This record gives sequence, C-alpha cells and structure tokens, in this order.
Amino acid sequence: MASDDALPTLKILLIGPSGAGKSALLMRYCDDEFDPDTAAATIGIDFKIKRLAVRGKPYRLTLFDTAGQERFRTLSTSFYRGAHGVILVYDISNRASFMSMERWFDEAKSNTVEDVALYLVGAKLDKASRNREVTQEEGLALAEQHGASFCEASSKTSENVRRPFVEIVNQIVQTPGLLTNATAKRRSGTVVVDSTTNNGYFSLPNCAC
Amino acid sequence: MAMGSVSDTLWDVVICGTGLQQSLLALSLSRSGKNILHIDPNDYYGGAEAAFNLQEAESWVDRLATEDKGFFRSASITKPDVAGLSFPRAYSLALAPQLIHARSELLSQLVSSRAYRQVEFLAVGSFYIFKAPSGPEQQPSLVRIPSTREDVFSTTAISAKAKRGLMKFLKFVLDYDRLEQRDVWKTFAGRPLVDFLQEHFKMDAELKTYIITLTLSLDGKITTEDGLSTIYRHLTSMGHFGPGFAALYPKWGGISEVAQVACRAGAVGGAVYMLGAGIKSMATATDEVELELTSGDMVKTKLLVRGNESVGDGPSISRLVAVVGVLYLTTMATSNSKEVLSRALESFLSAMDHDQVPQCLYQLYYEQAAGVKQSRLDELTIDLPGPSLSLSMDDLLLKHVREAWKKVASDTADDAEYMIFTDREPVDDDDELE
Repeated sequence: MASDDALPTLKILLIGPSGAGKSALLMRYCDDEFDPDTAAATIGIDFKIKRLAVRGKPYRLTLFDTAGQERFRTLSTSFYRGAHGVILVYDISNRASFMSMERWFDEAKSNTVEDVALYLVGAKLDKASRNREVTQEEGLALAEQHGASFCEASSKTSENVRRPFVEIVNQIVQTPGLLTNATAKRRSGTVVVDSTTNNGYFSLPNCAC
Repeated sequence: MAMGSVSDTLWDVVICGTGLQQSLLALSLSRSGKNILHIDPNDYYGGAEAAFNLQEAESWVDRLATEDKGFFRSASITKPDVAGLSFPRAYSLALAPQLIHARSELLSQLVSSRAYRQVEFLAVGSFYIFKAPSGPEQQPSLVRIPSTREDVFSTTAISAKAKRGLMKFLKFVLDYDRLEQRDVWKTFAGRPLVDFLQEHFKMDAELKTYIITLTLSLDGKITTEDGLSTIYRHLTSMGHFGPGFAALYPKWGGISEVAQVACRAGAVGGAVYMLGAGIKSMATATDEVELELTSGDMVKTKLLVRGNESVGDGPSISRLVAVVGVLYLTTMATSNSKEVLSRALESFLSAMDHDQVPQCLYQLYYEQAAGVKQSRLDELTIDLPGPSLSLSMDDLLLKHVREAWKKVASDTADDAEYMIFTDREPVDDDDELE
C-alpha cells in the first residue's frame, strides 16, 4: 500500500462523559469490533488512524480518544490543539450523561478554532426500546443549538456507526479554510525532531574510535 | 483502571504536580503497568511551567495577590490603552519559555518514548544583541551573533582581526573537553568565563558580549567551565535538526506543552488524572502513605512523588511577558528590575522598526524565586527539585526524573530501556469510498 503521508490529515476528537460509549464507537468504526464486557476505561489507545474518502477524495483521519482524562475533566489544551472536528458522545440511556453535554460543548468550543466541526452522537441506540432516557428530539435540539450535526448510533448493532465520521469529514472539508488553514498553520515553520541532519557548519573533530 | 473511587485503590505511586519533571516521570512510567494517580493542586497543567491565556493569566495574578504561591511574587498585569488585542484565548503566555537545544536529552527522550508527535517545535534561528545608537543621528539596532563558520566569514559587524579571534575560540570550544585542551582552561574553571576570554583569547568587549550572550547566562557571571560546556552545546546543536538553528521552542506554550503531552501519555498508559486536587495532609505508615486530598478524597499509596516547593538559595528572576506577538524578557530580580525590563522592552521595540515602533498590547510581570536544586529520596517519598529558572532546558533535571523512575519501577526497570517505547500501533485500514 502506498504511503499515506501525503494525504490530508484530519484530527478528530471523541469527547464526552465516562461510560458514554466513545471507545466502543471508535472500536466499532475502526476495527469493526464490539466487546460488551469492557466497561473499564480505555487504556493503551492513543489514537487510531483510518483512511476515508469523501466525494472521491481520500483523507487520513487521526481519531483521538480521551484516554480516561474525561473522568475528572482533565483534558489538556494540547489535546484539543489543531483539531478539525470534535465528536461529542452521550448515552441515550443515561439522562445525566446528556445533561453534561452543555459543559462538553463549552470545553470543545473554547479550546478549538472558531469554525471547528462539531458532531453530537447519542450512543447506545440499541437500548432505545427499553432504557431510553433522552429523546431523539432533545438530542437534535441540543445539537442545533450549538451548530452541530447529530445522529444516534449503536456500536453494538453497528447502526449509524459510520455516519458521524463520514458526515463530520464532509463538514470539515466543506468549511472554507478549516482544513487548509489548520494544516498549513501546523506544518509551517515547525521542526521535525525524529531525524537529524548533518548540516552543522562546525563538525566535530575526527576521532579515532 | 476500573472505574471506582480513587480511594478504593492502593496506588503504586501518587505523583503530585504536573510540572515538567513530574509529567516526564508519568511518561517514563506509562508502560510500566504501575497503578498511578497523578494529581495537581492547580486546576491547570504545568505548575510553575504552565502556560496561560489572558483570562487564566488574570486569575493567576489575582490568586497570587491573596494566597502564597511559593515561587512567584509581585505579579501584575498592565493593559495599555491601545486597540488591537485579540480574544483572550488567542494567546498562550508561558511561565517557562525555555529554549531546548537540539542536542538536549529531552528531545531524544521525547522521540524514543514516541511522545514527540503531539508537540510542535519552532526553530530558534539566531541570537541577537541590542546595540544602542552610537550617535545622535543613529538608530538602535539588533546585531546577529555569528556562531557558525559561515556567519563568522560573512558578518560585517566585526573586524577581520575579531573574526580570526572568534573563529579561534569557536574551534577551541569544539574540543575543549579533550585532555590537552583542558590544561588550557582548567586554571580558569571556576572563574568567570569573561576572564578567560579576556586573558587567554584577548577578546575585545564586543566579542566578549557575543560569547557571554550565547551562554544565556542571566547575570553574565557564568564560570569558564559552565560557559564552555554551554557554548559547546550551542555549537554541536547547530544544524542538528536542520541548517541554521541550534535550539527549538515548543510552539504553543513553552515547556507546558511538553508537560501536557507527557501527561497524556501517562493517561494513555492508564494513569488517573485529577486537577484541582492537592495534598491537604499526609500520614505515613511503615509501607504506605495516606493522603488527604484537597478534593476531599482519601488515597493510599506505596510511594509519593512531588516537587520540592521550598524556595532555594539561588537568585530570583524578574520576567516581563509582553504581547507584541509574545515577547519574554528576563533579568535577575533586583529592586528596579521591573523598570529595567520596561526600558529593555521599549529599546527592543524601537530597534525592531524605527519608523513604526510596534505597540505592546498587554504586559504580565512577575518575579520567580529559585527552587531547591537537589532531589530527596526516602522510603516512601521522593521530592524532585524545584523548577529551573534557566533560559534553556537544563538536562540535569532529567537525571532526577530518571532516578525517581528507577525507584518507582525498581522491580521491573531495565535501565537500558528507559523512555524507549514502541509506537502504540494505530489500526490503519481503508474505509470504502463514498
């Protein structure tokens, strides 16, 4: 497979309260896996990479999970930096998780660029028939209030799992300047520190070793 | 880490503070499998190395007025009555605006630990000195210090004789540590570098100023031994990551950026993070420490690592952070250092553009006391040294972190593997095309 370094890279974050289903959504989307037994917080996943083509143009998505730092709301400013899109996830079977979303929207907006793409996901749609505590209308209304797109999804059944990712990428690439500006800003003038050059004008003296 | 109260776990280590050292410790332990609780009394990352937007800077200054914040004092904000300031979050003012030389161990550790990708570094190209106008018709200027062979050849700022002297010195520094070279400077080792430059290299005042500036010594009194090692670091860092620069600067918030990324790596490894949770009281038993946190939680740990909050006996600094872009001005704290910095800012701005002197939109001033330079280890607690006041990253701090790591991970640690991690392999496959 050809190197995808040249593809435009989009940084997309998944945030929201603990237990909302962020990691499950990510795992289902990227690996098509769902483990009903992992209630534990996510360990060992920094970010996942997924290539996705929208309107015939391929992109390289870097999808960042919260690494448990949502638990006491300790996500750092550097985590948000350079994000093109933020997917905010709550659990439709948990009223409290929905009620916390206002603060998550605030945090996302205050730490990202003005035209960042926002997407609200009501997760655990499979629980809709028996345990729903948040209506679809409420979710949609909250999303509209914050200029975000919205859908409900289930990582368990895979229903709508791709939709937030495809739509947020669509939204990002259609926002004039968001991709080009953020990317150019990130790249210009920065130094690559994992490879050294030998451009020193003063070289070390030859040694016999 | 299963969800549950932080009180339910007997932690292997509680790290208090998210300054650079504690954060690097969290990074170094991020694959150790240890149960780690990482807390910070502040509601922001970075401790004495934090970076603030304007709003955060204001609440920091307000809090300093009412409570003792250890190292910091005399903080104030001035907002000149001029338009042009962007929104508060557009700025990131670093409390630790340190340069990182290309050869600093910090960079190789960030690379080998795979934490570097989330930090953006800017190249710090050249060092300049301010030259006051030489006559009534003259303008102040900024003169670049030639520190590469090419620079020395091409500069018109100094005479041919001075060029030869400078070249001779720079070549000398490149193997100053060789046995036969040591004989040349060892009698000067503890004396000021400026004496050595004067007596051995017969440098004139201007060349001496160039060299002393390159050492980034705040009071200019750096010793010959320290000075030579600093210039050596500069010369060997030159070109290391690309032509024409010796040092880097984390783009967004100085050292705070590195600390945050290190904490994120800690979290990815399973450490639990709490901000706004300091240590209210502690009680030690034979093999564990019980902590009462300011958040109200009681936690037990086998080991506590924290930063030494005591003021050390080194000199304090004064710093002015000026929003014109963002400029950091630092000097030794004295009774009139605030005024000295204000004048320096004015002079600097007038040298940048004589016709249209840039306007300063916002100023943050503070003084910072030196921390304790040694670490302290006992059975249950490790006190890391206080933050460094140096203008460039001091690799000595990394040694203390490594020492702490050895103690925490003594059962599983392989010293040769310190900070060497593989990438956490992200899954990479194609989605179908739309």
